Amino acid sequence: MDDVPGDLPEAAARRFSEGAFTSGLTVPDFAACLQMGLEPAGYVQGFCVMKWGSWQFYPGAGPYGGYGPNVAGTHGGYSESWQCPHGFVSAEHRVWGQNYEQPWVEDAWANGFTSAYERLIEEASALGAHGIVGLVDTSAPLGDLGVLEFRVQGTAVKVKDGPPPADGRPWTTYLAGQRLAKLIEAGYMPVSIAATVASVRVWASCITAYLTEGTNPGWTSQAVGAEIEQTARAQMAVRRIARERVRAQLGGDSLHGASMGTRERELGEGDADLECILRGNRVRRFKEFDPMPAPRPTVRLS
Amino acid sequence: MTGPAPLAADRPDGSAGDATSGDIRKEMLAAAQSLDRSAPSPAAAMTSDLSIDEELTLHSIGWEPIELVYGVSLHSIPMGVWNWGQGEITHASSAFARSFAAATDRIHHECARSGGHGVVGVHVERTVDRHHIGIALTGTAVRPVGAKKLPSTDSVFVSDLSGRDFTLLQGSGWVPLGLAAGASFVYAPRRSMGTAMKQTSQNVELTNFTEAMYAARESAMERMQRSALALQGTGVVEVKVTEGPMEFAHHAIGFSAYGTVIRLVAGQHRNLAPRMVLPLDDPVRGVEATALRGA
Amino acid sequence: MTDTPQDLPEGASKRLAELEHGLFTSDLSVNEFLLIKEVGFHPLGFVMGSSIYHTGIQTRKWGQSQELTKLTEAMYNARELAMTRMEEEAAELGADGVVGVRLDVNYYEWGKDAAEFIAVGTAVKAENGVSHRNKLGKPFTSDLSGQDFWTLMQTGHIPQGLVMGTCVYHIAHRGIGQTLGSAGQNVELPNFTQALYEARELAMTRMQDEANQLDASGIVGVRLEEKSHQWGSHTIEFLSLGTAVVKTSDEVTLPAPTTIISLDN
Repeated sequence: MDDVPGDLPEAAARRFSEGAFTSGLTVPDFAACLQMGLEPAGYVQGFCVMKWGSWQFYPGAGPYGGYGPNVAGTHGGYSESWQCPHGFVSAEHRVWGQNYEQPWVEDAWANGFTSAYERLIEEASALGAHGIVGLVDTSAPLGDLGVLEFRVQGTAVKVKDGPPPADGRPWTTYLAGQRLAKLIEAGYMPVSIAATVASVRVWASCITAYLTEGTNPGWTSQAVGAEIEQTARAQMAVRRIARERVRAQLGGDSLHGASMGTRERELGEGDADLECILRGNRVRRFKEFDPMPAPRPTVRLS
Repeated sequence: MTGPAPLAADRPDGSAGDATSGDIRKEMLAAAQSLDRSAPSPAAAMTSDLSIDEELTLHSIGWEPIELVYGVSLHSIPMGVWNWGQGEITHASSAFARSFAAATDRIHHECARSGGHGVVGVHVERTVDRHHIGIALTGTAVRPVGAKKLPSTDSVFVSDLSGRDFTLLQGSGWVPLGLAAGASFVYAPRRSMGTAMKQTSQNVELTNFTEAMYAARESAMERMQRSALALQGTGVVEVKVTEGPMEFAHHAIGFSAYGTVIRLVAGQHRNLAPRMVLPLDDPVRGVEATALRGA
Repeated sequence: MTDTPQDLPEGASKRLAELEHGLFTSDLSVNEFLLIKEVGFHPLGFVMGSSIYHTGIQTRKWGQSQELTKLTEAMYNARELAMTRMEEEAAELGADGVVGVRLDVNYYEWGKDAAEFIAVGTAVKAENGVSHRNKLGKPFTSDLSGQDFWTLMQTGHIPQGLVMGTCVYHIAHRGIGQTLGSAGQNVELPNFTQALYEARELAMTRMQDEANQLDASGIVGVRLEEKSHQWGSHTIEFLSLGTAVVKTSDEVTLPAPTTIISLDN
């Protein structure tokens, strides 16, 4: 514990040298960890603050910066367009609409998250930890400043009589306590957490704008109450991209206990910014599939 | 003074307390050691949003999760629809029905494509906005362990049953078929109600308005039933009923109901014969960490 | 109280007809569904009844603590109407009873002084074809969950009906003001106590009267709810609810329970 990596703030070094462990685990989780032979070594965390929301200088964001469709489609990724069927152009009537993926947002999020995560790993390695359990990650804007703060925190543990990780990087998981014990009993070993964000922008076509605003049904040449196809396809795409991005991180392992959340920010006139965050535990089978017998149903008298 | 008996971790000889905790320690050790030498087996790569409890119960009947799947749809509502009127707000009711049908179709398709035999644990998110009604469904596709893709997608089911409920029903001879949903939106009777009340000093039933609300509820339920019949189900369980005024238009009331359609496939229902248990737990009192060491 | 299905809206008849052709619907959880099957009952369908009632406050003497009988009647009638319609739907399906009954009250901004009373539940029928209707020949109602229904049946009892007693009471203003003059001392407020005592007794007695009408052996799951609805804090409705039961056999089939220590939090 004497050589603390240079990147860590001084306060962390002081905290580690004090000796007694701190843990974010609840008492039942703490007790369960001890029973599994996991000894808490310390509470570890990683932070990163990223500038957020102004994309115009991001490479590949196209001629409108992040605020308009990419005409040449040079940034790659998902993109779909719709042409205006009405045959006239005006200041308020768009010639075409486009759904497109925003890799600059996705990459920025990945950078922020990875930086925070790497600092967490550094702190844990400094303690000689084998793994980190009970991980909690958040990303939240800091006040009105146009920045996003990434935080990852968890309890570093050592496996009693266990080997230190071969590549020096502790394994990590969101689970702790009884749920982790059941995961192990089911034959899975946590490798690391996996988290990603997918971002799709809806640059509304004229029809989408009319349908979303509920105006001018005559211009939509669609039955009243039609599906808002462009937005629906964007919603499907943003989830698909999140799932694909996570799969790329899995390297053939499985994702267990995932949670998928989608947020939509309406920008007016049918335009929207869709964001899907998908996170979960990357796990690997370490023994043959050996299911429990079917559990016995009970009725409790209390 | 003797403190509480130390946990197995603190025994001086490091021995485990009882057989089960010894086993879990061995498992944890074996699992940690495995990381160095193992490479992932490509066949196994699954994505799932089921909890470990749900996975374990599915495993116990020989099923496994394979893929996180979803379906989303939204239909527009023309302007002026929410302004005060009379009777049913048919645009809203049909927007709901069409969005639900399209979203279910899409998640069904995703499941079939991934090789799943059905989706469990579907989470249903409804958005009702001034200008559109949207449905978003998220769940995990499952299949019997190692099973192949079904030749026809007709029998692929979509259900909001938890992994646990799915397992229980299977044991009794029932299978899920799909989701059934129904909704109806109506205008509240405003001015006429105020008038009616002024006319009576008695506390009495307001029959016309009773009829309007009652009819709207029945209508939502009936639409759900119709979609259940279309799936040729025997019954619908865990029906969730919601009703209430729209946030953006308090005079418009929406009623919706949805649940999972099931059918009896065994010759007859198989009883579970549950065992009655009397738990001896008390709520756990907080224990100070310091009491476990050095007392 | 009308007995004819003409009381139900047209939509209801159509929906119930579908249910009679073999489809069942229920808001029972899977657990409850399976437990109801265990005791030999099958769900028939989701049933409901509702009534929008004018519940405006009547004039009363502010200085006196008293029951507001007109309002009591109104609250009682409104719930009775909702319950009766729900029972009619169940009867239409040929049910023996309704389980998991929920009574709700909805207030709408646009209808001050009016409230909607709703009763919903799942109609069930015994699979052995033996009628389990109550003494009045009507489907029994109960707010017991599927688990409680199963447990009750194991003890040789069967529900007869959801019984209720209600009392809308006005608590005198001046009485409290006077007593609070001596605030600072922890004393009992005798008028207040007396008023609440009386109101609760009235509600519970009326509930028991309903149970007697059904020749019940007892009432289980009794609870007392107190609400001010839309009337302000000096007027409270005391609602006493429970399920009246009758003993069907001396044989208790409950096996001795296994004691366990749960390993989950």
